[in-house]
Amino acid sequence: MAARTLCLWCPDWPVVAARLRGDGPTDAPVVVLAQGRVLACSAEARAHDVTIGLRRREVEVRAPGVVVLEVDPAGDARAFEPVARAVEALAPRLALERPGLLSFPTRGPSRYFGGDEALVARVLDVVRDTAVPDARVGVADGVFAARLAARRGVLVPVDATPTFLAPWPVGALGDEDLASLLCRLGLRTLGDFAALPPGAVLARFGARGLGVHRLARGEDEHPPALTTPPPDLVEVCELDPPAARVDAAAFVAKALADRLLERLAAVGLACTHVVVEAETEHGEHLARGWRHEGALTAATLAERVRWQLDGWLTETGGLTGGLALLRLVPEQVIPATGRQLGFWGGDAAAADRAARVLARVQGILGPEHVVTAVPQGGRTPLERVRWVPWGEPREAQRPVDAVAGPVSTETPDWPGTVPGPSPARVFAVAPRAVLLDAAGEAVTVSSRGEPSAPPARLVSPVLPGGGGEVGAWAGPWAQDVRWWDRRARARRSYWQVVVGETACLVRVERGEAAIEALYD
Amino acid sequence: MATAGASPDVPRVAARARLREVARAGAPVVLARERCLEVPGPLGEVVPGLRRGAVVAVEGPPSAGATSLALGLVAAASAAREWAAAVDGSGTLGGLAAIAAGVDLARFAVVRDVPGDRWAAVVAALLDGMSVVLAEVPRGVRVADARRLVARARERDTVLVTLGAWPAAATLRLHAEGGVWTGLGAGDGVLTARELAVRVEGPGAPVRGHVAIAV
Repeated sequence: MAARTLCLWCPDWPVVAARLRGDGPTDAPVVVLAQGRVLACSAEARAHDVTIGLRRREVEVRAPGVVVLEVDPAGDARAFEPVARAVEALAPRLALERPGLLSFPTRGPSRYFGGDEALVARVLDVVRDTAVPDARVGVADGVFAARLAARRGVLVPVDATPTFLAPWPVGALGDEDLASLLCRLGLRTLGDFAALPPGAVLARFGARGLGVHRLARGEDEHPPALTTPPPDLVEVCELDPPAARVDAAAFVAKALADRLLERLAAVGLACTHVVVEAETEHGEHLARGWRHEGALTAATLAERVRWQLDGWLTETGGLTGGLALLRLVPEQVIPATGRQLGFWGGDAAAADRAARVLARVQGILGPEHVVTAVPQGGRTPLERVRWVPWGEPREAQRPVDAVAGPVSTETPDWPGTVPGPSPARVFAVAPRAVLLDAAGEAVTVSSRGEPSAPPARLVSPVLPGGGGEVGAWAGPWAQDVRWWDRRARARRSYWQVVVGETACLVRVERGEAAIEALYD
Repeated sequence: MATAGASPDVPRVAARARLREVARAGAPVVLARERCLEVPGPLGEVVPGLRRGAVVAVEGPPSAGATSLALGLVAAASAAREWAAAVDGSGTLGGLAAIAAGVDLARFAVVRDVPGDRWAAVVAALLDGMSVVLAEVPRGVRVADARRLVARARERDTVLVTLGAWPAAATLRLHAEGGVWTGLGAGDGVLTARELAVRVEGPGAPVRGHVAIAV
């Protein structure tokens, strides 16, 4: 039987937090985007038929005058900290799932306050005092059922959880692939799914399916672990000098999180609930639990620890000094089953290690500093590669093959592509150059693509010796790009030029030359 | 069976030799090539393999071909289906040139715009998880940092390829000495290839070679 749990949910928390921060107006529709799609929207926006998952342009069409904000997870977490602190005064052991959603077991607090109803009333009281406009509370057996109960704001009686869950659609399980499969199999509600025998579910849907089946039956996803985490898995780090800035503390926390998960993995465990503990130099003790539906990965754990530290360190009236000690306590561990090595050896392990390292570098420098190249369509070396931040989908913006036609083994180049080997150095901001003819005049290209004179001399600071006589050249390759779009139209021509032993690609646009690439 | 004393040394020596032979056949073999990443393409004729944990310094004046050489070495990781990363200080590394050199872009990350004071930390972090790390050396790298990276590469069995003036020790030094481009005339033809002169300084005698960078 799953533990009786109270869940507090603040709907549209990113919007609420933005308004509390003063970023979003309270009288206009507000939408918060994550990766270009709607993550949360205000009630005013919803009145204009804005829904979660829409693209920015659709939102602007449906709700004119909408205020569109980018998601700020750290800011959301910081804004939620006062709420968490207020609830913590009533109940210990509360765990945050994300900013705006927290849960805790009710057994102790209910008994103390005289029943679940009284506890719910107390919780709503203290939350209302923190100036949060809308908060909903649900109580049921198990975290999953409590979360659904919070959506409705109901108190599910003891032992009535399976009946409460039965009419919910399978989409509520939060696994889209599985939900669509279940629908196609004719199992539309959690009740239908729960009625299947567990053995059959395991055989057809695997371990993940069994876990979800347990949720549908109103039990915990993972059976209670019989092993309590041995105490030596607790990761502690003393900060000397004490950290008063978030990034300093978060950097230590990142290493701590990596170490904790590495040690858990070594004993075959994964962590679903971790407690972040901190002590200040004046002996104040802070602790907060974070829960994750799957298992916490190094990246998600580090993100949550950072949010928490951000909340503690930047919330006014919180701390009197810097953090002197940081501790990560794995509160709930499950056997790790999701990791599988590659069939032909440790390929998956190597990929995992590489991903971890790149995530660490992204942590040091910022995510946009680690990129990967995706080949795409275009005419110049600069256009033909798109650099995507590591971890984002590797998608080209333009199709590689320009002509739709018979399938060939070789993708045809775009018309006007500069041929030859690919330059090893491509300048996003092309350094200026001067391309002169024998008479000392700048070489220009007419609108018909005819050069004014053959180039004789190229001068640029990026060339060795500052440039010199042109030894060999070819071109111009004239391009009239996007002639239908007045603002994006570009008329330019390209020259391959060899000066001494240096080969480079020269661009001439509006009478001005620049070195776009070096064949290094 | 010969016993000690009766016919003292001759049979015993022979038996020992035979025993060693049997033991050698039965011992787990660590092939030298398993500790090595094979360099594909024309560069492989000059530098056949990169020993894991080695530091390869690629140097040369600008536009003499050092970048192409370095990318050719990175391709050794892709040929073994392993991971590689590059620290690209100026943010100008050509993606198409990497493909042409044989680099698998799905297993290749580029770190751009690294501030000078974090450079050593970033390279050290990358050495932890990659098979080959290509690091463009910024101006004014401290010798102590460079030495620490050499030790780190050896400890993690990662090949560190440095591009630019490298102040510390290197297992192998490649000097790009430029070369003549072919295929381009006075207004006709296109760039097709370059015969690149490479001087290799290694543990043995210095080797000179030529690498053709073709279309």
